[in-house]
Parts: sequence; C-alpha cells; structure tokens
Amino acid sequence: MRLSWMIGGAQGTGVDTSANIFGNAVAKAGYYIYGSREYFSNIKGRHSYFNVVISDAPQHSIETKVNILATFDAETVFQHFDEVKDWLIYDKALEPMSMDKVRSLEPEIAEEQAAILEKAGFGLTIADIVKYLNGKGVKTIAVDYGPLMKNIINQLKMDPFIAEKARNMLCAGVSFGLLGLDQQGMLDAIKFAFSKNEKFLNLNTLAAQSGLAQAKSAYSLKELPKQGHRVQLDGNTISAIGKIYGGLGFQSYYPITPASDESTYIEANQLLDSGKGDKRGIVVLQTEDELAAINAANGAALTGARSATATSGPGFSLMNEGISWAGMNEVPVMVTYYMRGSPATGLPTRSGQSDLKLALNAGHGEFARIVIASGDHAEVFEDAILGLNLAEVCQTPVIHIIEKTLANAYSVMDESTLAMGSAKLERGKIVFPEEPEAYKRFEITEDGISPRAFLGHAQMYYTGDEHNEYGHITEASSNRTQMYEKRIKKLDTASKSIPDDKKANIVGNSDTVLLTWGSPKGAILDAMEDLKADGINVEMLQVRLFSPYPKELVGKALQGKKRIIAVENNYNAQGAEIMTESLLISPTHYILKWNGRPMAKDEIANAVRDIMKNDTKKVVLNGGK
Amino acid sequence: MEVNEAVEFNDWCPGCGDFGILRGVESALAELKLDFTDAVIVSGIGCSGKLPHFVGGPISGVHTLHGRALAFAIGIKLSNPSMKVIVDAGDGDTFGIGVGHFVSAGRRNADMTMIVHDNRVYGLTKGQAAPTMPMGEKTKALPKPNINGPINPVALAVASGYTFVARSFAYDTTLTKELIKQAIQHKGMGLIDILQPCPTYNDINTNEWYKERIFKLEDDPEVHDPSETMAKMTQALKNAYMPEDRIPVGLFYKNEHIPTFEERLQANIPNYMEKYPAEQEIEENGSPSTSIAKLIESKRVF
Repeated sequence: MRLSWMIGGAQGTGVDTSANIFGNAVAKAGYYIYGSREYFSNIKGRHSYFNVVISDAPQHSIETKVNILATFDAETVFQHFDEVKDWLIYDKALEPMSMDKVRSLEPEIAEEQAAILEKAGFGLTIADIVKYLNGKGVKTIAVDYGPLMKNIINQLKMDPFIAEKARNMLCAGVSFGLLGLDQQGMLDAIKFAFSKNEKFLNLNTLAAQSGLAQAKSAYSLKELPKQGHRVQLDGNTISAIGKIYGGLGFQSYYPITPASDESTYIEANQLLDSGKGDKRGIVVLQTEDELAAINAANGAALTGARSATATSGPGFSLMNEGISWAGMNEVPVMVTYYMRGSPATGLPTRSGQSDLKLALNAGHGEFARIVIASGDHAEVFEDAILGLNLAEVCQTPVIHIIEKTLANAYSVMDESTLAMGSAKLERGKIVFPEEPEAYKRFEITEDGISPRAFLGHAQMYYTGDEHNEYGHITEASSNRTQMYEKRIKKLDTASKSIPDDKKANIVGNSDTVLLTWGSPKGAILDAMEDLKADGINVEMLQVRLFSPYPKELVGKALQGKKRIIAVENNYNAQGAEIMTESLLISPTHYILKWNGRPMAKDEIANAVRDIMKNDTKKVVLNGGK
Repeated sequence: MEVNEAVEFNDWCPGCGDFGILRGVESALAELKLDFTDAVIVSGIGCSGKLPHFVGGPISGVHTLHGRALAFAIGIKLSNPSMKVIVDAGDGDTFGIGVGHFVSAGRRNADMTMIVHDNRVYGLTKGQAAPTMPMGEKTKALPKPNINGPINPVALAVASGYTFVARSFAYDTTLTKELIKQAIQHKGMGLIDILQPCPTYNDINTNEWYKERIFKLEDDPEVHDPSETMAKMTQALKNAYMPEDRIPVGLFYKNEHIPTFEERLQANIPNYMEKYPAEQEIEENGSPSTSIAKLIESKRVF
C-alpha cells in the first residue's frame, strides 16, 4: 500500500510545518513516511511544496503523481494540477482566479500548464481546472477558507494577521480527514508540535478540527499494529546526531543552504551527557568564511578533538586549500558536503550530484582522502560515525556527501534501523610520548600511519611544506619520495579496515544492474518493487565509498552483467566514470537527471522499461516542478 | 635520546628584521617558562611563516597556509583553551589575503596573541607592495610607485575589537620581548605590529629610516574603567595615525573589560574550561560515551 500527498503554498506560510505535522500524525497510526521538500532560494512568497509518501512498509522516494493535492493558494493549483490522481483540495474563493494573475509563477511553467488546459479546451481559471480535473475523474473539495478562518478568529479573538497563518493546518486537516484515520491522531501531532506555545496550539487545533469536518473518509486507512519505536528524522538532523554520537568536539561552519541546519542543530544541543554523570560541550563556531571554517577545523583536530565542518558546493570550493593542508599534514578532519545544484550558485535550494569529482579531487596535490556518499537517512547516521572513525584511523581528511534531496527530506523509520547499540568508535594510533622532545609526528611506518600525539603532549611541528619525520621543512629528494608515498599508501589501510557493506550495497540479483550512488538509491529500491510486479527483475549496485574506490567489490559485482545502467543526478554519470577509470568497463545505458529535482520511483521504473524494451541508450529525466 | 631541535640552518637574509622578532619570541617564551606543553606558535606563509621552525627551545609549531594562521589558531584555542596560542604572520598574510580573519579575531577577543612582521613588502615573492606600504612609495623591486593606500594595523585592530594593541620595532628586542610577554599575559586578543626592515627588497624603510623616527609612547593606554573606553580608543587612533616623520612604538590600547570568547562559550557550556573538546572522553572500550537518547526521543513518533 502506498499513498502520496502533496501540500504546496507560498514560502513562509507553513507548508513545511503542516507537512511535518501531517506526516507525524499519519506515522503515529503506524505508517512509514518519506517526506521530500522543494523550495526556492527565497525567504517569503515563492512557491514551495512538500511530498509525503505514506506506506505500510519503509519508503525512500517520491513519485511524479500524487493521490491528494492539498492547496490553500492559487499558485499551487496552477503549478501542480496535472500531477494529481485522486483528490484536489482548494480554496473556493479562488475559483475565478486566472493563471496570468499569479506573477510569481515562472513564465516557463505557466506556459506549459496553460498549454495543457488550452489543449483540452479549457480556460485558465481555477474553476476551469476543477472542471478539467473532474472530467478526468479527479474529485475536488472546495474549502471556504475565508469564512472558516473568520469563525476561528472570532472564537479566539486573535489578530487576524497571525491567525490567518493557520490556513495550512486547516488544509492538512481536510487531507487527514480523507485518509479516514482516527482524527485524534492529527490533534495529538499538533499538540506534540506546539507544546510550548498555547496560543498556537489552540489556533492550530481549531484550524485542524475545522478542516477535519470538511472531509469524509475516502481511503479508509486503519491504524496499524505498532512495535518498538519509530523516529522522524531529516538528513541535516540525522547527520548532526551521528556526529554527536561519533564524539564530535568541534564543528565550524559558515552559513550556506542546505548545510547550516546541521550546525545550528548541534549548537542548540551542544551540551550532552557523556557518561558517568558528566556533561561535555561541543564547540560550534560560526566563522567569517569557509576558509576559516576548514582551517579552524584543521586546528581543532591537532588538539585531539574530533573535528568537522559542514558546507555546500560554493563553500567547499573555498575549502580546497585547507583540505590540501590537511592531506599534507595528515589531519583527521571531516567535511560534511551537502551537495546541491552547481556550478556557481546554481540551484541553491535544489539537489544534484555534480560535485562528486570535486570531492574526489579537491585540493592541489596527491594525498589520501576518504570520500563517502550516503544513500538514505540511516546511512547518513552510520556514515557520520564511520567518517569520524576513518579520519582518525587513517589520519586523513574525510568528505561525507549528503545531497540536498536527503538533507531536506525526512523518513519515519524504525529506531532499530539506526543500530545505535552496535556503533563503535575507533581512534587509531594515538600516543602520549614518554620522551615528548623526541617525538616524530610523521614517523615513517609500514602502513604509512604514524603514532599521533596531540598538541600539548609532545614537541611537534606541522607545515604545509614538504617535511621530515619531525615536521620540519626539507626539500631533500629522498625524503620527498618517502613522505609522498607514506601519505598515499594509507589508503590501503583504509581499504582493508572498511567492511564490504559500507563500501557498496548490492540488492537483488539480475543480469541487469542499476549502478548508482547517493539518493537515487531510494527511488531505485522503490521502483524495483513495481518492476518486479511487471516481471522485470533488476539488481542495484549502490557505491557508498568513492575513495578508496572498492575496485574489487564493484568489479566482481559487475562481472558478466548484460546491462549496466548508470543512474545519477548529473550529466556525465560521474560515479560511473570513476568505475570506468578503475575497472575499464563502461555502462551500457544511462538514466540521468540534472534538473535539480530528486529522482521519482515511477521515472526510474519507466526508464528501465524503456531500456529493456527499446534498448534506449540514455534516458534523461525531467520530473518534478 | 634523539632530540627534536629546531632546524639548524636559518635561511633568512642577513640583516633581516625577522631575527629581532625571533629573539623577542624566544626570550618571551623563556621568561614566561612556556614550552610545548602549554603553548604553540601558529604561523602563516612567507619568511615570517618559518619562524616556529627556527625557535630554539622546546616549543611546538604549526606552519599553516597563506593568510590562514588566525583561522587555525582559533580552532586550536577553542578546542584546548588551556594553551597559550601565539600567532606569527606577515603583513601580507594578515592585512592582505587574511584580513577577514584579522577583523573577525577582534570581534571574538579570544585569549590569543598575534605578532605581525610588518616590513611593507612581500619578501619571498621578490618585493611586491604589502598592504602596509604607503601610497606613492616605490621600493626598488616595484615597477611603478604603489597606487594602493595603506592599512594602518594599529587602527584596524582597535576598530576590530582587539583588546591589546601594540607596535614595536624589530631591532628593539627588549621592547619586542616585553610587549610579547605583556600580550601573552593579557586576557584577550592582542596584536603586536612589529615594524621591520627588509634589507633585500625595502630600500626606503631601512633600519636607519626607522631609527630617526621612532619614539616610545608615554600615554597611559589602559582602560581602567569601561567608561574610559571611548577616550582610550580615540587616543590610540590619534597615535596610530601620527604623520610618519615621528613613529610611536609601545602599547597603544589595552582593555580587559571585554569578555573573552572562551568566557562567552562558558556561558553556554558551564564546564568548558575543564572539559574542553581536547579533554573530552568520547568512548569507553570503543562504545560511544555520548548519550543521544534525549535527541532520539525528541524525534520519536511512538
């Protein structure tokens, strides 16, 4: 069972809040949820929307069509009417509103949407859209938002300007009514969200009740049996919690979308119980720029604190030189790289996978680095801890890639998926030298990793120049040869110490394999279920570790496959290019999408069908608004 | 026992002002009995950046990137506030490529000391104009007279929020040492802008040129009560902008009434000064010792 709901509205009118509360309410009834957020680089007024997928089994993707489209403004109707399958909820008062009156609608989108209506012989008002949809079998609910809100305002004697903001909850209430679940669940979710503000609790409760009264059950969902605990977590938060659990002591950042929420979450929760009744505080430093962010993190790492920063493409570009210094000085520092639409400012609030090769090559020079890419929220948690471990074990910079798709999406998942009990922290070769004046920070060793002492515990020197074992500058050629090799061969140690399941995921068994990384994993897994129903069996190979590249594992998995379909959110299939570079084999087909929107499961399923049937070499996806 | 001594060969030019600054740093460390257990020198790039490698004595050094010494330093300081962090950088480092960090360090007022080698030229790249070179000046390496205006380090430090602001002359090793000691002992962010000749590339601001102009400041630079802040800042700026026929050296401004960044952090993390990040135990037999139970519980649906 899978049901898809979308709510839209102007940024700043509570789209995000209502989607979180709606999802929470449905989840309380025992359903799994995947919620995905789309928004403009704008504070107030531009169109944003939230997809919420409801199921009795864990879900990891959206689809291009939704069962219910919930709206309380005109723009959402105009922009998304062609995506709705079952129900449209809209504001009755907006029926005469015409598409050309909505100035914030992007002209390209307005043109496309108008063409659909014109082709079917309809005008451009909301009333026309309602007629058009009714003709296609979509049911509509006209909500009298104005009078209903007026009642609430009179009842609460509230400032209308503030109270009108609860239209979002009225809209969510109508939606929840359609599901047919016990209405108390919605009210409980509101109580949970507004427990600290009685005024808003009352307002939103009344708005939801008013909405609930507008709809009759259409889907007759039943409360499902519940076992254990479930949590609702977005990508920024789960990364933050993973880092905290992984022993993070210092985090620096410069504000940037979609990375900052991680740092502000850590700061808000910086004081933690650390066992034996002790507290420990994580230092979170907002720096003047990303140059300072990476280098402050480098400095912190030298003191023995687990240290990290979080950024996105433009900030990461500025961090290049600092990453190079970390490579040269074997600094255990982690950069959480929230990948968004590049290049330059690109699509700052949309997603993309176009910076993989930047992550792999950032910073001048050759040196060991670890690059990990997470495919879902549970992996983000695991990888945050793994990244902090590998940084110390290998004494190298670690780059942890989380795309915007995951950062701003949330999953309702079983708490047990996070496997908190089995998490281990490994700190590698740490020493407190007995002869601190004789300490060699860069001692040549068999595996390339030197015993690491912290600043304050031994006499030591760091330098970006080529250096000897003590860390003093030398340009001697024999030393250069040895030190250079030392800094790179550490990757062999990393390769040996990382378990196979952290290097790549293989799901299914078929001679057709979808080769991917990062967030497309979710859409592929969900699409595989649909394809199976059509009798199409495919396999997924999701690469999680890009440096050191799991050549052997991937090579073995791809051996003898009839089709290798590269699935990525970029133009060049960068992840597959890395595979080709390592194994000298190329994908046979491509499913690519670079419009900034996440992959939808039906897009993947259709593309696979197309490839299987027509041998289409490259399918370019363009779903999502 | 093999001992990790400073590199034997110092490759600064003969007569370089850097030697005077090096002596000042070494004497200050020795007199304050600071070593690698409680202090670290963080440097930038250029001739000045090599200083930590040349210090005779048991100290640790972090020779960083061009312009970024202060960025590394704040990370070290905040993770281990028990350490004295001495930043040593050039005028190009500090007022050119890294000027954003210089200004931000004033806003934070962390308890650190910044020593700037101010010779008005980029020595290691063959004498281009540094941000402290006056407009119209043409040293021998410049193809044309400098058409950029100069940054006034003392004035910029006062305006940025530094709470200890001094100027010294590299060949006055006693004054340099004294000011470094005072800055290290000062509670808050300190700057010592050290004027120095570059005998190879700056043929204008030579040792003799400075000696004819330098005099010791006599004004009381200290803010004894917060109400004096404006007056002392004004006095410091007036002295900083004195025409160059007379160049004051000494302490321009001192104010210990501004909370340090560490104190500001302590307001959020009560045990910060005892359990700072470098001193935190994060695991027990490999298991994470940080509890995330409350964070997870707050995200529970059921």
